[in-house]
Amino acid sequence: MPEMTSKDKKQPNRGGRDGILSDHVETISASLINSRDLIMPNYRGRVVVAPVSKNDNLRNGSSNVESQSALKKTCVTEAISIGRAGVMISGEEQDSILSVDNSKCIMCGRCQLSYPELFKMESQFATPARSKSEMIVNSPDAEPGDTSRKSYEKVGGDLREKIKKIFGRSLAIREVDAGSCNGCEVEITALNNAIYDIERFGIHFVASPRHADVLMVTGPASRNMEIALETTYKATPDPKIVIAVGACACSGGIFGDTYATTGGIDKVVPVDVYIPGCPPRPQALLYGLFLAVDRLDGLNKNT
Amino acid sequence: MNDHLTLISQQLGERLVQSIHQENQNEIHVILRTPEDTGTVCSFLYQSLGYRLVTMVCSDERENEECFVIRYVFEPGAERQSEQEPQDIFVLVIAKIPQSADPKFPSLVSVIPGASVYEREIREMFGLIPVGNPDTRPLVLHEQWPEGAYPLRKEFDIKTKVARDKVKHQNYLTVEGEGICEIPVGPVHAGIIEPGHFRFSIMGENIVNLETRLFYTHKGVEKLAESMTLENALLLSERISGDEAVANSMAYCQAMEKIANVRIPNKAMRTRSICAEMERIYNHLGTLAGISTDLGFAYGSSRLNILKERMMQLNEKIAGSRILFGVNKIGGVGIDILRHAEELQTSSISIRKDFDKVISMLRSKSSVIDRLRRTGIITKKVAADLQTVGIAARCTGIDVDTRRDHPYAAYREITVSGRGETPKQRMAHRVEMQQRQGDAMARFDVRVVETIDSLAIIQELSARLGKDDDTLVLPGITERLEPFGNALGYAESHRGQTLHWLMIGKDTNSIFRYKVRTASFCNWPAIENAVLNDIVPDFPLINKSLDLSYSGNDL
Repeated sequence: MPEMTSKDKKQPNRGGRDGILSDHVETISASLINSRDLIMPNYRGRVVVAPVSKNDNLRNGSSNVESQSALKKTCVTEAISIGRAGVMISGEEQDSILSVDNSKCIMCGRCQLSYPELFKMESQFATPARSKSEMIVNSPDAEPGDTSRKSYEKVGGDLREKIKKIFGRSLAIREVDAGSCNGCEVEITALNNAIYDIERFGIHFVASPRHADVLMVTGPASRNMEIALETTYKATPDPKIVIAVGACACSGGIFGDTYATTGGIDKVVPVDVYIPGCPPRPQALLYGLFLAVDRLDGLNKNT
Repeated sequence: MNDHLTLISQQLGERLVQSIHQENQNEIHVILRTPEDTGTVCSFLYQSLGYRLVTMVCSDERENEECFVIRYVFEPGAERQSEQEPQDIFVLVIAKIPQSADPKFPSLVSVIPGASVYEREIREMFGLIPVGNPDTRPLVLHEQWPEGAYPLRKEFDIKTKVARDKVKHQNYLTVEGEGICEIPVGPVHAGIIEPGHFRFSIMGENIVNLETRLFYTHKGVEKLAESMTLENALLLSERISGDEAVANSMAYCQAMEKIANVRIPNKAMRTRSICAEMERIYNHLGTLAGISTDLGFAYGSSRLNILKERMMQLNEKIAGSRILFGVNKIGGVGIDILRHAEELQTSSISIRKDFDKVISMLRSKSSVIDRLRRTGIITKKVAADLQTVGIAARCTGIDVDTRRDHPYAAYREITVSGRGETPKQRMAHRVEMQQRQGDAMARFDVRVVETIDSLAIIQELSARLGKDDDTLVLPGITERLEPFGNALGYAESHRGQTLHWLMIGKDTNSIFRYKVRTASFCNWPAIENAVLNDIVPDFPLINKSLDLSYSGNDL
């Protein structure tokens, strides 16, 4: 069964020169390290809505009730909404305006397929935010995405400085799965791999909420996890920060609000930072952590 | 196919069977006269013919048929599959349970122990009582769920917020005696993993008994699907278990394509298989890395995780998603990977090269081998009784692989592990199968072999991509669906067989019933046996070596 080549048999690898201390096992290259910031052009990161002038067929809202409801129905998580008349954009009054709620969007790209003139998928990931209202985007330039365009290294470096300043020690995170599909866990795990290597920024995942400063919670908060999530929250010492990771944790996502789910973890515990995405990529997670620590900084100043 | 049909109909006769016929290419439907005969018919299939029970599907058809219907799905057992040519059939034994105040059905547990979890699930979700199943503990809905609310009955509204009943405690089997103590673990665990509760009874460090309690991530997937359109449920099927997105959505699409009786374009089939193998590879790499972490060898794990990250970046390049969301579409695929064919070739070669080095390095460390060998043994008998599937079964010598036994997508045109071409290769495979020990070492080794196989499959298939025309999706499938048409979709995820039974609703863009059974549902019960006589510190290792999904189990 094990496929040992004849070469392996002759020269068993037993540590020493060819073992643990050498780079005999070549699995990493410079290009891979640089790939931390590389996002493929076809990555479905976030939806941007077309500039309002193009929304012509949505103007005169009253005559278009049917097409409006068809448009809303393209979105499985009801992330698309059509605003009422009277909204001001760039000093101009609009008849109707489209918006996408990033806390609900699962980045399936179906809106772009059905209405290519109105929606466009961008490879830039949706920006984490401190409140749900910040996550509703209605024009391409409305999203405050500048900070997230900083490199992974830069965000991580800033984060390390902040953590050092506030805590004088490293930051401890407890991850809680409150019913996720495990997609978010795949990405959170990736933060710990040698490419993203979050520990070098002074951030580490701990085994107990009692050691944690931050709770990273995934999943729509299933009914069966509700009590466990509350208990975990109570076990975490103050001041604490809760981060909702992924569309499910932010809003219930595709699982919504049903007999088995609660429709977002903020129904169970107070949330400080929301990280959109399905699942959010490691860069988005790191940026979400940056916001969280920034908030903790604010909390400390107030007390 | 035909000889199975004749054999079954001759043996069972008209006394038991109302009708028996072939449907959806590879399904034999056996409709029983009365549900009381379920035991007789199922034990004939299981004991005399050596079939395996692969799922039990209950549906609430009181509106049209005035009864609940339970479909017991069997497939030919591993012994039959490896001795002869693979037999691509599923036998569905269909029992109609008449509507009454307290509907009942006969339990199969005395013959097929693996039926127990299905029966408990049906009891809770539909309120049908399995007569003769001694295990009456709640499974899915936990103890605060009140009596009399059955989520999968049609009259239950999905938005119902059921008030929490008074707290009753789960009955765990307790072990008593001097020096015995209990360790409760979870549902919130120490690592970045999904929630589940484990209760160990230990004597010193040795595990005397383990009780698992899952379904913390139950999200009502099956009920939710009934309120969705076919397109939307595809997105849901991808999120049954995030790391099995391709396998689950493929099984869902295939069920629908079977109902519509269509064949999707060649290029779509190859794309599906390639993506399914990429999914298998990145997950196997992750599991092997996890095994390395849990046995305390961080170096091996970080090397393997680098390879996993490389695969995930490749995933993103071809599919626009690091975990391959959005690959499948009803009637085909949503991505064109032809332009990446060359990169798939070169990447699979370079990953293979690095992978071989890491693995031979791991194998050279005696501390690695010592921890794995004879740890977490699942015997062949236990695996067979519990209807274990996938890697967990193959590691005990039960040779089942849906890709080979029920070829789908592009697996008809390639040689999947164990389907040797010459008699010598086939014999060598059988001998090798018999030598598998069912321990963590076997699960490590088999994963390594399958990762290498998958890389070879990607190479083989991506070389053929250019030969096909450019059609990616066969349009108009939803128009070809009949109300209440139903079929079984299936795929082999990296964990094992995933089975999706789909029944279209009255409106053909809706779902009447969507029953999902992932490999994890079959394999979780085996872990309680695997840990016996091992020590507590080996539990994470054993758990990781089985690589089970909580979300795929809990739905």
